[in-house]
Amino acid sequence: MFKCTINGHEVEVPEGASVIEAFKLLKEDIAHYCWHPGLSIAGVCRLCMVQIDDGPRLHIACNTLVKDGMKITNQTEVVKEAVRWGMDFHLINHPLDCPICDQAGECGLQEQYMKYGQYDSSMAEKKVKKRKVVDLGERVVLDSERCILCSRCVRFTDEVTKTNELGIFNRGDHSEIGTFEDQPLDNKYSLNTVDICPVGALTSKDFRFQQRVWYLKDTDSICTGCSTGCSIKVYHNKEGLFRVKPVFNEKVNGHWMCDEGRDLYKHVNAPVRLKQILKSVGNEWFPLGLERALDHLNEAFSKAENISVLITAQHTVEEYKALKNWAQQLQDKTINFVYWKNNPESFDSFDGLLIRGDKNPNTKGLLEAGFEFADASVLDSSDLVLAPMPENPAVYPKYMEKLEQLSKLQTQLCLLSVSNITQHETINFADGTLAIPMKTAFEKAGHFINHQGLTQKIHKGRVIVKAALGLDELLQAIKIGKWIQPQLLKSRKTNESSKVSGELW
Amino acid sequence: MNEYIPQADKEFILKELKRYETPISALIPSLFCIQKRHGWVPAEAVKELSLLSDLPESRINEVLNFYTMFNKKPVGQLHVQVCCNVSCAMNGGRELAKHICETYKVGFEQVSPCGTVTVSPVECLGACDKAPMMQVGQAYYEDLTNESALEVLEKLAFEKAKVSAHV
Amino acid sequence: MSESQLLTEHYHKDTYKSLKGYQADGGYEVLKKAFKMEPQAIIDEVKASGLRGRGGAGFPTGVKWGFLPRNDETRYLLCNADEGEPGTFKDRMMMERAPHQLIEGMIISAFAINSPKSYIYIRGEYDQCIETVTAAIKEAYDAGLLGENILGSGFKHDMDVYYGAGAYICGDETGMISSLEGLKGQPKLKPPFPAVQGYLKKPTIVNNVETLAAVIPIIDKGAEAYKAIGTEKSSGTKLFSVSGCVEKAGNFEVPLGYPLMDLIELAGGLRPGRKLKAVIPGGSSAPVLTAEECLTAKMDYEDLSAKGSMLGSGAVMVIDDSQNMVDLLGVIMHFYHHESCGQCTPCREGTGWLSKMVHSILEGKGRIADLDLILKVANQMKGKTICALSDAAALPALSFVTKFRDEFEDYIKRGHQYAAEALHV
Repeated sequence: MFKCTINGHEVEVPEGASVIEAFKLLKEDIAHYCWHPGLSIAGVCRLCMVQIDDGPRLHIACNTLVKDGMKITNQTEVVKEAVRWGMDFHLINHPLDCPICDQAGECGLQEQYMKYGQYDSSMAEKKVKKRKVVDLGERVVLDSERCILCSRCVRFTDEVTKTNELGIFNRGDHSEIGTFEDQPLDNKYSLNTVDICPVGALTSKDFRFQQRVWYLKDTDSICTGCSTGCSIKVYHNKEGLFRVKPVFNEKVNGHWMCDEGRDLYKHVNAPVRLKQILKSVGNEWFPLGLERALDHLNEAFSKAENISVLITAQHTVEEYKALKNWAQQLQDKTINFVYWKNNPESFDSFDGLLIRGDKNPNTKGLLEAGFEFADASVLDSSDLVLAPMPENPAVYPKYMEKLEQLSKLQTQLCLLSVSNITQHETINFADGTLAIPMKTAFEKAGHFINHQGLTQKIHKGRVIVKAALGLDELLQAIKIGKWIQPQLLKSRKTNESSKVSGELW
Repeated sequence: MNEYIPQADKEFILKELKRYETPISALIPSLFCIQKRHGWVPAEAVKELSLLSDLPESRINEVLNFYTMFNKKPVGQLHVQVCCNVSCAMNGGRELAKHICETYKVGFEQVSPCGTVTVSPVECLGACDKAPMMQVGQAYYEDLTNESALEVLEKLAFEKAKVSAHV
Repeated sequence: MSESQLLTEHYHKDTYKSLKGYQADGGYEVLKKAFKMEPQAIIDEVKASGLRGRGGAGFPTGVKWGFLPRNDETRYLLCNADEGEPGTFKDRMMMERAPHQLIEGMIISAFAINSPKSYIYIRGEYDQCIETVTAAIKEAYDAGLLGENILGSGFKHDMDVYYGAGAYICGDETGMISSLEGLKGQPKLKPPFPAVQGYLKKPTIVNNVETLAAVIPIIDKGAEAYKAIGTEKSSGTKLFSVSGCVEKAGNFEVPLGYPLMDLIELAGGLRPGRKLKAVIPGGSSAPVLTAEECLTAKMDYEDLSAKGSMLGSGAVMVIDDSQNMVDLLGVIMHFYHHESCGQCTPCREGTGWLSKMVHSILEGKGRIADLDLILKVANQMKGKTICALSDAAALPALSFVTKFRDEFEDYIKRGHQYAAEALHV
């Protein structure tokens, strides 16, 4: 470890740490745009200026290694003036139309100018004109005039995805980022470029102009898209969820997440959800009041001798524990657990970065819960199948086929579903089949164990469907014959302030 | 398929890809080779070069757009680059550039109506002792006057016409 | 004082271009002598000679060589022949007239630093040089002067030509390395310095054409003899490219410390009836000298630095009283705006801003306050970026506006009158 002094405060940093990392460790303010801890050092924004050991020269903190005993400051007038001017150099060709920019509220340029800028730009010349609204494919839009050429996005596609789509073309103040011939930026991680863009140059097609960021709250969670289990923040307000962004997790996802994971919120929002308990009679669905629903449940479960649970790895460690306890107490019945995997042919695949073929957040959790799994053929001879469904049935095509098959056999089903299963066109459910709204991972607390065996916590966020139950809550109701009333859940972890930008990398 | 890199050029490029310590160094020579063939570097040729060299199109496009000697759009038969930097500026380089434009009724960086010339004012070409000067194609023409420059261009245009008539 | 021709003595001979002609005048004899020396002895000799880089930065060559790490990594020697500093045309002459001199200097240098491979990076516009040097390298290979076991010394060295495609910034040593690596010619962050991690992250020495050629007389006659030429701290001779408002522009090799006014005389002096107004002594990046400063200026590193300017690449641009300083600053600012690679924000934005301000003045839209703003912006561009281009743009802006402020103010006041004549390209 090296000891150094930053603006008079002593800090210990590991050998090989850069000065800017020392600033971050100490949570000391330092302006910067191009430096990002997940990317190589570009050293081009020239804002992280410091003076070292009272020397007259300015150094950039990102490309200077800390030496033992180093005295570093960015509080001298020389540094402050350089940063003020550095800000101005960034702004002279940048549009000053923040009110109509989607990045407003979480813009590095805005935030850092407020901190370090000189508020009185002397630029009177015409700005350089560049391209607006360049379509970069399915997910990303580029506004070249807003770009400050920090090169983060280019380094991302070069170094992280190694897909090399982006480049900086031309030179001088005519430099522009882009893809060759505006080809789509269609790698599976493209939205990370939007996250790391410090300004409103790269925006998400999905999110842009949907919400002002200061009207959103965020909740820490874990991505349920696959067994990698990336740390995420989910952004929401009373209208629902609006976006998902990665949170730095050194052990799991570093700074990144895949684009697929960003779509996670879409199956959570109200329009696609099952909102009340329904019963199928004569191929039609009828809503049940809570009392009647409980009667039906109890009747179904007490009548059935041979019960199967069609389980996936999409539930929490706590829910599996509840399931196991519940089964142990029903010793007079035969209870079989059938473990259902998504797409067995690609289940063990891995793209080398983050994406895994195992589309479940808790495969390890399920396997470690101590169930004895039966062959899927037991389903066909069951009186009743309890099916806590995958949150997003789209990634489980075979699961849906199985339900269809069982329905043809007139097997009675008890479905716990996030999606509005009753809208399913091709399945004719057996009479007496119950569809019960299920909570998404975002609406409950608990733990997932990811592919590497790491136990990670998920937090309760906003309740989207009031009637939704967790698997444990449903089992509790069956067991004691009483509803534990689904409640409005408010999370302690929800940031109520409108500070949403997270770490200003 | 429309081939922008014919066989002979392909052979040159494949050789260049092996010539330097790293294949990507072949980009500049390859782009020059394409430009020699077409007078400029069309996007389709970049795509072909990417396939041929296994180098990303974005990298090729970066190089193409960074260096000023590569033409990103078609130019006239004679690409007339007139130095307008300090020593030439002091000796009439800019006036010469404008004079050529006026004579051929063409603006800077445009192709003249007759297709003969494109005039580009350029930065120092390292012939300051013989200012004003111009580079046409690869050759330098130095110690120019308005008259001698036009004479050179007429002669070069005549030669080009002769060659194309022959073809 | 007369010309002292250590390098250019035989340049007037057409035959000097060919291997045979070069050898007839003693070519490659010094290489034979070098092979009999210990490599370290060559480095020591170059160090002792006080030779400083002739490309512009003036860094002591022997010291630079000494920065190479003492390990077995492959080292590269790169010759910087991307002569782009406005006003400079000496390397072009050297390559066209004496390609073998460069090759000999490079083999000696490569032997000294134990480099198996070198490249000569020639700017793309210098087609003639590319052709001449390529042909000379082939001749050298055929004569056993390159390749395996050169002249029976056991030393193996390969040499090749690489060419740019139009970018001033490739004259910066790390910009050149990027370009040679097949990328945009953008300078790289330092540290690491090229001597430690350069071309392909291997230890690399980059030297200018004239620097490498100057190694020959140093090894030939010894460091002491070389040091005897020039001044105490600026030893040896230097090629100066004199151009602009003179009668006989050209390259002149003179001892360092040569009086500027004498150099102008060598170039035929001013044109009849004209008065000296200013001189840019070291390429367009060098701060301009007023006529008065020229009177006592000596062409060496120390004297020009004491006068607030620099020797740079040795491009002397003579400006007489027929010229307008605002107009010339416009030309220079346009150049740096055009050539900024665009990486570092202060340079990318600052060069454009300066150019726009000067051109506003030229168009008759200037305000007196713009002059102070030019100075402020230029000052903030100094010492803030990866390479020296930002400073190179700032220095002429600062010196022109400071030293010729009256002329700038007069232009602004009578702007519209001048604007009609302003030449924009």
